[in-house]
Amino acid sequence: MAAFAATAGKLLGLRAVGTEGRWLRLRGTGLQRALLQPVSVTGDEALTRQVAHFTFQPDPEPQEYGQTQKMNLFQAITSALDNSLAKDPTAVIFGEDVAFGGVFRCTVGLRDKYGKDRVFNTPLCEQGIVGFGIGIAVTGATAIAEIQFADYIFPAFDQIVNEAAKYRYRSGDLFNCGSLTIRAPWGCVGHGALYHSQSPEAFFAHCPGIKVVVPRSPFQAKGLLLSCIEDKNPCIFFEPKILYRAAVEQVPLEPYNIPLSQAEVIQEGSDVTLVAWGTQVHVIREVASMAQEKLGVSCEVIDLKTILPWDMDTVCKSVIKTGRLLISHEAPLTGGFASEISSTVQIFFPYKFCECQKLKDILFFCKMLRSIITIQSA
Amino acid sequence: MRKMLAAVSRVLSRAAQKPASRVLVASCNYSKDATFEIKKCDLYGLEKGPPVTTVLTREDGLKYYRMMLTVRRMELKADQLYKQKFIRGFCHLCDGQEACSVGLEAGIKPTDHVITSYRAHGLCYTRGLSVRSILAELTGRRGGCAKGKGGSMHMYIKNFYGGNGIVGAQGPLGAGIALACKYKGNEEICLTLYGDGAANQGQIAEAHNMAALWKLPCVFICENNLYGMGTSVKRAAASTDYYKRGHFLPGLRVDGMDVLSVREATKFAADYCRSGKGSIVMELQTYRYHGHSMSDPGISYRSREEVQDMRRKSDPIMLLKDRMVNSNLATIEELKGIDVEVRKEIEDAARFATTDPEPPLEELGHHIYCDNPPFEVRGVNQWIKFKSLS
Repeated sequence: MAAFAATAGKLLGLRAVGTEGRWLRLRGTGLQRALLQPVSVTGDEALTRQVAHFTFQPDPEPQEYGQTQKMNLFQAITSALDNSLAKDPTAVIFGEDVAFGGVFRCTVGLRDKYGKDRVFNTPLCEQGIVGFGIGIAVTGATAIAEIQFADYIFPAFDQIVNEAAKYRYRSGDLFNCGSLTIRAPWGCVGHGALYHSQSPEAFFAHCPGIKVVVPRSPFQAKGLLLSCIEDKNPCIFFEPKILYRAAVEQVPLEPYNIPLSQAEVIQEGSDVTLVAWGTQVHVIREVASMAQEKLGVSCEVIDLKTILPWDMDTVCKSVIKTGRLLISHEAPLTGGFASEISSTVQIFFPYKFCECQKLKDILFFCKMLRSIITIQSA
Repeated sequence: MRKMLAAVSRVLSRAAQKPASRVLVASCNYSKDATFEIKKCDLYGLEKGPPVTTVLTREDGLKYYRMMLTVRRMELKADQLYKQKFIRGFCHLCDGQEACSVGLEAGIKPTDHVITSYRAHGLCYTRGLSVRSILAELTGRRGGCAKGKGGSMHMYIKNFYGGNGIVGAQGPLGAGIALACKYKGNEEICLTLYGDGAANQGQIAEAHNMAALWKLPCVFICENNLYGMGTSVKRAAASTDYYKRGHFLPGLRVDGMDVLSVREATKFAADYCRSGKGSIVMELQTYRYHGHSMSDPGISYRSREEVQDMRRKSDPIMLLKDRMVNSNLATIEELKGIDVEVRKEIEDAARFATTDPEPPLEELGHHIYCDNPPFEVRGVNQWIKFKSLS
């Protein structure tokens, strides 16, 4: 993979910003415009802010779960939480500012419906929130903790990694905090800068004992969140904050589960496998259609959904079929989860040197469409 | 006809000259200074507190007035620029809390150190950043104090360590800066500010413990503006007496809307630290007129009447102005003159902030690491690399 990358780099000449072709034109036009300008843009479009350019692609209306309603991501989350609190009398929701509905309106109306002893605010203390949640979960009650932004989860990192993840193991299955679910808004939103844009899934992927899930749409979010809450392991559920309002879909009103650790092949293809999660799935879908249209390449698109434990079977089966793999994510490249996926896949396949120009072009489409990553993952 | 016009013009010009001569005569009547009574501070673990009277010279009064007005106008201009989408991202304004930043600066030396969290524009200005560099940083331009890469929450200058996004994280940092001051033996102190929300973070308690244990010259200042984002202090803290929350550290509670109270309390706290007695906690009772940030209207968790009430009764600029005018330290006209000058300064700065170019793309990777020769960091894929110059 590394050699392939180096050769491809030389062939494309994209070694450094400001050296060739497409980037040259953008030199000296300033940080924002330079990064956010696709190649074919004209003068006026260049002036408009094109932050986080992607188009949410809704899935078709699900038929098997009963009546559906048009919901965006935060409404789907509210619906999932509503279903949980109704079904499970021990379930409690807590976090900073959740009582009035939360900063992203994910908990609107729940306090009025279920009472202030079940939906309550905590003071400003992430370590305390998660530690407290572990304590609730250990007694058997269902704890749904909210960390206001994934960027703030680091004070709670010790509690998650050292306490929550290892409880069952160190007590020999006598105790566990499986009924703990931590929810956090995740990913870049365009104006979040350092502390409202981070994607920390890779930090947690390094820790056995917890599950990490990232949905791509409202329908997926509700099903996956309900699965996380009912799962008997502590789960971290990252919600792509840019999709809270942007993603609108038909979502069933009744509770339903989408299984964890099962990746989904959204689009079948034969030439290359594209893997992504969260918002990036929509970018990858657009890339797949661009590749088909402009290069005649048939892409297989996989939404990984669960980062830990991840579905190796689906990804490997797909790579057997296509022979090529491209993983794209928002988090920084070095040590990002893509490195885990690519190194695992390479264990099972002999190393193949690929000079495919089309693959490099596809990579360029990814870069073009989600230029905002450049800022976040440097 | 011409004679009549000439006569009329003579009368009018005489009338126009009168106010000027009146001002000239009146300036001789300004007092040089005046003594004011200030509110007694609540004390914890201290026998004596700051004095209850203070002397304000005319010169200092005008300086504080100008500084507070500059901070106020700068924040309002930032509000305007944000709504015009020149400023993006997160912007936390501190209008209403001007007395805190100006009073703190008045009580310490320029060689002392200050660290705070994200509601920092006022302190940035009082610590020495120009309005131009602050507004240019907000709009993300080259002329900004962090070269356009920091934004609202990350502005720095010598002896001012920002500007921190994660609340509470600056507590242990401030204790560390105080340790450095003690180690270097230069009688400098560190003011470590945090809000009423951050007061509930574990890190603050850790910082208090370290500072007390090692007798660090650190003044922990809790800017209590009654709301941690949208949560009122009563619903977030078991004890809202933030000045007592240092337990083993002495504390004082100060009226944060009166610049003279803040000044006297800061001087007292600074002397306490400089004399080697250790750390001290200060609670400034203040208020912010805007919401938590620009995306918060600020009235869903408090009433409009409450905000207007505070503006009417406790506005720090109004309090200082009344004091100065009533004790003949300045006239209303003179203060209005300052207002006009400050407005002009802010307008110039705003024009600079909206016309300065943005930082060049080559600087994207700079200052990630410090390395000589320049270090290369990866971009979004294996072929893109950025130079990290430092």
